[in-house]
Amino acid sequence: MADKISIVVNGKAVEVRKGVRLLDAVREAGASVPTLCRHKDLMPLGSCRLCLCEVECEGRTELVTACDYVVEGPLAVVTDSAEVVRHRKTLAELYLGRWPNVPAVKAIARRAGVSESRFVGEFTDPEPKSCILCGRCAAACEEFVLECIVGFAGRGMERHVAMPFHQVDPHCIGCTSCAHVCPTGAIEIVDDLNRPVDPRKIQSAGMRVNAELATLDKSQCRMREMGTLNILQVMDKYDLLPVHNFQYGCHPDAKKIYGTVFRDQYPPQGLADGCWPGCSMACAKTADGFELKTGPYKGQRVTVDGPEYETGGGCANMGCFDPHFVLEFNFYCDTYGIDTISASTVVAFVMEAFEAGIITTHDTGGLVLKFGACDETLEMLHQMARGKGFGVLVGQGVRWLKERWIEEGRGDPQFLRDIGMEAKGLEYSQYVSKESLAQQCGYTMAIKGPQHDEAWLIFMDMVNNQLPTFELKAEALYYFPLWRTWFGLMGLCKLLWNDVVPADNYKEKEPHKIPGHVRNYFKYFEGMTGIPLDEGKMLDQSARVYNLQRCMSYMLGKGTREADLPPYRAVGPVTAKEYESRAERYDKQLRELLGIDPTGMSTAEKMARLRAHREEQYGKTMDVVYRRRGWNRNGVPTLARLKELGIDLPEIVALVADAQEPEA
Amino acid sequence: MITVNDSQTVEWTAGLTVAGLLKALGWDYALIAVTIDGQFVAPEDFDSRPVPDGSAVQAIHIAHGG
Repeated sequence: MADKISIVVNGKAVEVRKGVRLLDAVREAGASVPTLCRHKDLMPLGSCRLCLCEVECEGRTELVTACDYVVEGPLAVVTDSAEVVRHRKTLAELYLGRWPNVPAVKAIARRAGVSESRFVGEFTDPEPKSCILCGRCAAACEEFVLECIVGFAGRGMERHVAMPFHQVDPHCIGCTSCAHVCPTGAIEIVDDLNRPVDPRKIQSAGMRVNAELATLDKSQCRMREMGTLNILQVMDKYDLLPVHNFQYGCHPDAKKIYGTVFRDQYPPQGLADGCWPGCSMACAKTADGFELKTGPYKGQRVTVDGPEYETGGGCANMGCFDPHFVLEFNFYCDTYGIDTISASTVVAFVMEAFEAGIITTHDTGGLVLKFGACDETLEMLHQMARGKGFGVLVGQGVRWLKERWIEEGRGDPQFLRDIGMEAKGLEYSQYVSKESLAQQCGYTMAIKGPQHDEAWLIFMDMVNNQLPTFELKAEALYYFPLWRTWFGLMGLCKLLWNDVVPADNYKEKEPHKIPGHVRNYFKYFEGMTGIPLDEGKMLDQSARVYNLQRCMSYMLGKGTREADLPPYRAVGPVTAKEYESRAERYDKQLRELLGIDPTGMSTAEKMARLRAHREEQYGKTMDVVYRRRGWNRNGVPTLARLKELGIDLPEIVALVADAQEPEA
Repeated sequence: MITVNDSQTVEWTAGLTVAGLLKALGWDYALIAVTIDGQFVAPEDFDSRPVPDGSAVQAIHIAHGG
């Protein structure tokens, strides 16, 4: 066990992890050491000095504060030597002399055998809720919410905790972190503007998240460093990053736009920032002083808000692996009010059509729109905004373009339908779904179209193999879209659910649901409304809205089976080159899933067999999902389901009355 | 031989740890929950916990992002 070392605690040999703090090590070994300033979720402060221990290491003996002493090698520690006891007693007397009525101080004094202090005097503060200058509040402000609003002012006996210049700082949003960690009650939260039913419940839920972000984020998703762009690297490694209009899942140049590149090269990308004040995840990122190379603001230095993962993924999908391009594309999309996801997906579609000869420079006004054409893409973006040139057509979206080109007799209509990555008129977002049937359904059956925020099941299905049956896929496609809908209903961000994960999540029965955080949201809901919530009630809350949305979608001509069908590129390889790039994987599937020996078969034959299989599987999954959701075979909510949910109002029933089928 | 996620097998080697197994699979994902024959393994023990030959490992990627 390479990372474990042996130390001696009060004469007893114990094994501890290298790098552990001495205080944690001795407590784990059963020793009791007092502290006032230590809080389990904050970095050690070493300010109260009460955790002094005697350490013998490499032939030298010294007194150290155990809370911030890092165990790097063998040592012997005594937690209650005569020297230690003498020092602690003096410290306890000093504390008691200054703050004689603070319960935490009195407890420390009792423990040290001190009942009276020699140090009572003009600085003695008799208040039981006095600040004892431990520094926890300032540390919590900095570590939990990345602010420095509460801090120390004054020197010596004048030292005290204050906001800057003793004025209420407008940056303080009342997160209550400082009050939460205060050991004496010196900081109190006195307002509750939203009038929650149980503020303590909300505070406890929020503090849990704050503590997790302060202690776990740096070893988990690194949202504070890189925001959502952290996952681009993961997608590239798992062959899930869309490249060249979703043909491939990785690219050797993708590393040029990893989150680490932006963090290191475009300040202040690496710093934590919040999309709203007080959020301790602080995943929003900016690039300041960024000089634009094109467009109406060419030459100006601007602040770019982003990039998020979807923007980076969209640039990979266009084959544009230049970080400067990513930021300029991000900036102008934001400035023009254009969504980076739809913009990049439609441009990637146009690029593939250009490379396939479906369109030429004659159509594009001279733009050579091959994959990786960064300058041409920006020009097209400016054209969309100016309302002139080929960019205007591109701005109509994938569905409009493919229908127009089919109508004009350009290329093979089936090819255009296969590679046009849209459903219900919305462009796909930036994940390759080919190897996950559940993700294909999660995308395409989403009511709003193939957005990623309804059911993101790639890992559960493809890597974890947690959904091997249609029924399990259907269950996931019931639970997750409703859970994600619930965030929208409550106006809550989902990132605090699964972009940081409790340290003990691995012990949960269903760790992929991150149950600890689901319960945390329920606790927050109950604290705010007074209404207890559980999984069943949450699902029903969402299902009412979800089914209403589906009825309205049907009214708009999109809530049907036909609208839930994906372009084949979302399901499998469309071109021979695409198949051959992952031939080993596909050939294996032919052998293992279909019992076909691919030896000697042409790529076209193999593709046809694979396609027939995958499309059949997709259709079967739809049937089971519809049943689980209480919808008929055409994907329309049944009257029985509307009644069950209590939304069988006449005006809603009227929306779907003509789609009802006789009961089987 | 070790079975992973009921779907693939990995050749067992002497001294194989959880971290070694994940590395062999190319899985350097930050959030993976691991069980060996149904027993949880804490992430801090990935480097030291041996994976016995013939064991069934579940390595659940907790999906962040999305």
